[in-house]
Amino acid sequence: MEVSVGDVVMPGDTVKDITTITKKETIILGPGLRREADTVYAYKAGVLRKTEPAVYYVDSYQKRYVPNRGEHVVGIVTQKSSDIFKVDIGASEQASLSYLAFEGATKKNRPDIQVGDLVFAKLLVASKDMEPELVCVDSHGKEKKLGILSSDGMLFTCSLSLIRKILNRNSPLFNMLARSQAFEVAAGMNGRVWVKARTIQETIAIATAILAAEYAPLSGIKKLCSDIEKTLLLTQSGNVE
Amino acid sequence: MDTSEETSQSEYILRPMNCELNQLSMPDGSAMLMQGNTAVIAGIYGPVEAKPQKMIYDKASIEVSYSPIKGPTKVDDRMTEMYIKETCEAAIIVTFHPASAICINVQELEDSGGMLGCTINAACLALINAGIPMKFTFAAVNCMIQEDNEDIILDPDSIQLQEAKAEFTFAFDSMDKNVICCYTTGCFTETEFLKAMDRCKQASQYVFDFYRNLVKKYANVI
Amino acid sequence: MDSQYKIIHPVKYLQDHLAQDVRPDGRQFLSFRSISVNISSITHADSSAIFKIGNTTIVCGIKAELAAPKAESPEYGYIVPNIELPPLCSPKFRPGPPSDQAQVVVKLIENILRNSAAIDLKDLCVFKGKLVWVLYCDLMCINYDGSIIDACIGALTATLNTLTLPETLYNIETGSVSVNYTKRLKFPIKALPVSVSFAIFNDQLLIADPTDDEESLCLGRLTIVMNEDKICCIHKPGGIPISQDLFLRSLTKCKKRAELIRSLIDAAVSTIKQEHLNE
Repeated sequence: MEVSVGDVVMPGDTVKDITTITKKETIILGPGLRREADTVYAYKAGVLRKTEPAVYYVDSYQKRYVPNRGEHVVGIVTQKSSDIFKVDIGASEQASLSYLAFEGATKKNRPDIQVGDLVFAKLLVASKDMEPELVCVDSHGKEKKLGILSSDGMLFTCSLSLIRKILNRNSPLFNMLARSQAFEVAAGMNGRVWVKARTIQETIAIATAILAAEYAPLSGIKKLCSDIEKTLLLTQSGNVE
Repeated sequence: MDTSEETSQSEYILRPMNCELNQLSMPDGSAMLMQGNTAVIAGIYGPVEAKPQKMIYDKASIEVSYSPIKGPTKVDDRMTEMYIKETCEAAIIVTFHPASAICINVQELEDSGGMLGCTINAACLALINAGIPMKFTFAAVNCMIQEDNEDIILDPDSIQLQEAKAEFTFAFDSMDKNVICCYTTGCFTETEFLKAMDRCKQASQYVFDFYRNLVKKYANVI
Repeated sequence: MDSQYKIIHPVKYLQDHLAQDVRPDGRQFLSFRSISVNISSITHADSSAIFKIGNTTIVCGIKAELAAPKAESPEYGYIVPNIELPPLCSPKFRPGPPSDQAQVVVKLIENILRNSAAIDLKDLCVFKGKLVWVLYCDLMCINYDGSIIDACIGALTATLNTLTLPETLYNIETGSVSVNYTKRLKFPIKALPVSVSFAIFNDQLLIADPTDDEESLCLGRLTIVMNEDKICCIHKPGGIPISQDLFLRSLTKCKKRAELIRSLIDAAVSTIKQEHLNE
């Protein structure tokens, strides 16, 4: 079956718009699309989307993470060996993280990381045939926001589509929440979110707000945030009494 | 939104189908499918790390386990597993996730005829839900030939099956509607076989439409 | 050069052959390997046969034993097929409990026997509700080179065709069983199912009677079992989707092959009968 942008696609559907383009422009096929000879097929079920100028992809629901180069992920350190850490990022294979891939780390000055610690890292190598490799520094050797996450935060998992939704620049969720609460959040593309706020109640409230955003339309997020704000105020006043 | 409107068009041909996706929280994708009173639940884990002895270096290995409603897995169930495995293997693009494993687990909930077809369809829906790369989707349709008047009955239930001379299960791919898998019981002639295949092929369109409507319904929510 | 190439690039090796319209063993796409049948070579079994398709060799022996029937089916005997794929027959198999493949083959053979109605289980009844025959059909693969189901069905039907059971009497009053081993009666066989396997490659290429190498590299397998002019099993567990046209082609091919195998088994069975008469 032939489909066009905005339609629900099923694996095996051919994308009509791309095959009919005659202009000499570069077309980028994102996740969920593959090319066979002159035809573009979908290989995942979801909604076909296009971003200008010509990037096509299938917006699909998924829970299992498949590593992609350059994405930020939240991982759990599971193993320490002589010069690398093994990090679980929820993919089919554990990722490796060199102890030199931290800001200011040298052979003598090793980062202080224990098994069970959380790290927010970037995928340097992610190919289907190779073990994924993480780094906690950017190309200038600076840490920026990457690195170890403190253990007084809370980690929870959600679907990959929710992560994409909340990290979308147009998503009002974090801005809304930040109006009344102070919090830190690290959202990994692998469906793991780490949150830390001033109190435990606030942390739980923010986690709830993020999870509730999955089934809320963009317009409903404002109401969702104010609801959470109210509940939080009520419980806090209850605690004081 | 309920699924009754989706099924209304197909109820004259196939038994009503109802499905709930992503009902289980642990698997990466799951589907609970009812076709008439036959019900199964399928859950997918994948791509996950493959066991060393089952690892294939250039493609994903597919492991299927089918559990009947009572008792341990028997020799009969190995056959069902083989059908699910080889049918899914034809659809999944195995080269996208080399050296990993995709585990398909199917649990029978109730059998009132057409079990094999129902498990194959549930596996397909669970694969869609898990976001496993697939070349095409597949739909299985059951039919039988009646003993006395040689009529073809599509998607029979267990009561109708008692009068079956022969029973067929076909799975078709969504692109060219060719036959992926074929399972038969009983004796039949070549013309009967081709007629049954043709009827099932036509009916498979309803299953594909059901899949698409279901994905549409869930895509709107997310 | 040839064998190095085969080991390094098994897939390309086969594809290059197929592109030249020939198979690695020199056969045409739709030509079959030669068959040989040897009947009654195991004297300890009640009946036996050795069936060969090319290099694939199956030995089948049937042992009949007396047992009490199940309460729910008092006038039916049982038939218990079993196949063994020992490590001897192919490096693919390891010692240990039956592999998944062996279990699937057993199930398929059971299905084929039931669907073809080759045996009326009532014929195995000695005395209703008290005593029936159980036929243990042991199939042993001693050389595995593809098309295993065809060879198993061939061996099994050849064996069943020569099966004789001793005359048995059950005394209802005393409950004693008297078996007269000197007088053996021919066991009636209602049908002679013949199985034919195909392998399917890219672009709907159909190959008849695949060898093990072809089977392990093919994209789909198809087994058709013919019962005189009827079909009693079409087994395609998955793999590459195939068109209706391919079914038609394989069915036509299968009919011709089935006739040949049937005449071969009949010929083998009749020579045995001839020998018996001469004795």
